[in-house]
Amino acid sequence: MKKSVLALGLVLVTTACSSYARTDKAATQISFGSTVARKGLWREAAFRFQKAIEKEPNNARAHNNLAVALEASGEFAHALAEYKKALELDPNDSYIRRNYARFAEFYTSYTRTTGKTAGGT
Amino acid sequence: MEPRRRLRVGAAAALVALFCALPLLGGVAQVKLKLPLKPRLPLRGNEKIALAPFVLATEAEKARDKRLQNVDLQAEFQRFLKKQIEKKTKLEVVELPTDLKLPTQNLSELGRSTEFWRALGAQTGAEIIVSGSLEFRVEDRSGYKTEEYVSPIDGRTYYRQVYVEQTGFLFDIVFLVFDGRSGEKILQDEFKDFRQTGGRRADELQGLFENLFSLENQILNLFVARDREAERYIFTD
Repeated sequence: MKKSVLALGLVLVTTACSSYARTDKAATQISFGSTVARKGLWREAAFRFQKAIEKEPNNARAHNNLAVALEASGEFAHALAEYKKALELDPNDSYIRRNYARFAEFYTSYTRTTGKTAGGT
Repeated sequence: MEPRRRLRVGAAAALVALFCALPLLGGVAQVKLKLPLKPRLPLRGNEKIALAPFVLATEAEKARDKRLQNVDLQAEFQRFLKKQIEKKTKLEVVELPTDLKLPTQNLSELGRSTEFWRALGAQTGAEIIVSGSLEFRVEDRSGYKTEEYVSPIDGRTYYRQVYVEQTGFLFDIVFLVFDGRSGEKILQDEFKDFRQTGGRRADELQGLFENLFSLENQILNLFVARDREAERYIFTD
């Protein structure tokens, strides 16, 4: 009995260590970035998410968060590229898909042009 | 393996699986963004604007629906639009002759009446002229609806039909915007709103303004930039 408890403890500790070692500093940057994002500090958040991507270029969550931060800062073309990247990395994530759908709706109407100008201006 | 020991091993395995999955579950937070909406019309912002009459699509219905007879839709809408433009834009509203009559009551023909709009622009000095059509309907939406009901006797949930009195207010605006110099149509856009309130005798004027205030942002966005609140998800770890 004691042996099995010891083995279980060992497995848990190993799993925990490997999990947190895998997220490394990208997770820290994402965590901090999301905290400042919720306070409306989008420039700082974008900087943090960019740092997370430098650590883990294939982290779909970091790309999604960066896209949201860029969108909030008015950098829509960059936001579009980041949403696409996030979706490419994790096409099945429902949050990323929802974000992208809503952004696409907004961005389409934002870029829609009226064609003619009043008064020849 | 004895049953108790098998149970213990199973529970331990489940715990390990949960612990391994923890980093994958992660947190998600919903955040609100303020997104800019560009004005639909490419204006300098200080143009002279004329608010011409709108074609009333509900005129014929007035005879049938007595409640619409209490609402001067043209006057109420013109007053609302003028007030919003003067308050929330830098456009200068120019007065039009009080006896101004539209050349036609057909919306498509109105959009093609280039000569009429050019003449009106030259007469008043308006650089842009707004017209279009308005439709306002009051609908009796009363009827039987299915309602959930928990019996106090046996505590079970049942469904029952209840009669609910409701009034619906439908408002539909088509905007036509013309260049006062050339008389050409530069924009056509349509906005719709539907509100539903309890009671069969809900006030129609109140309903009309509820429709108008809910469309206010979209209407003003024709002329000036506006903000729109949007929701997005961010991952917290």
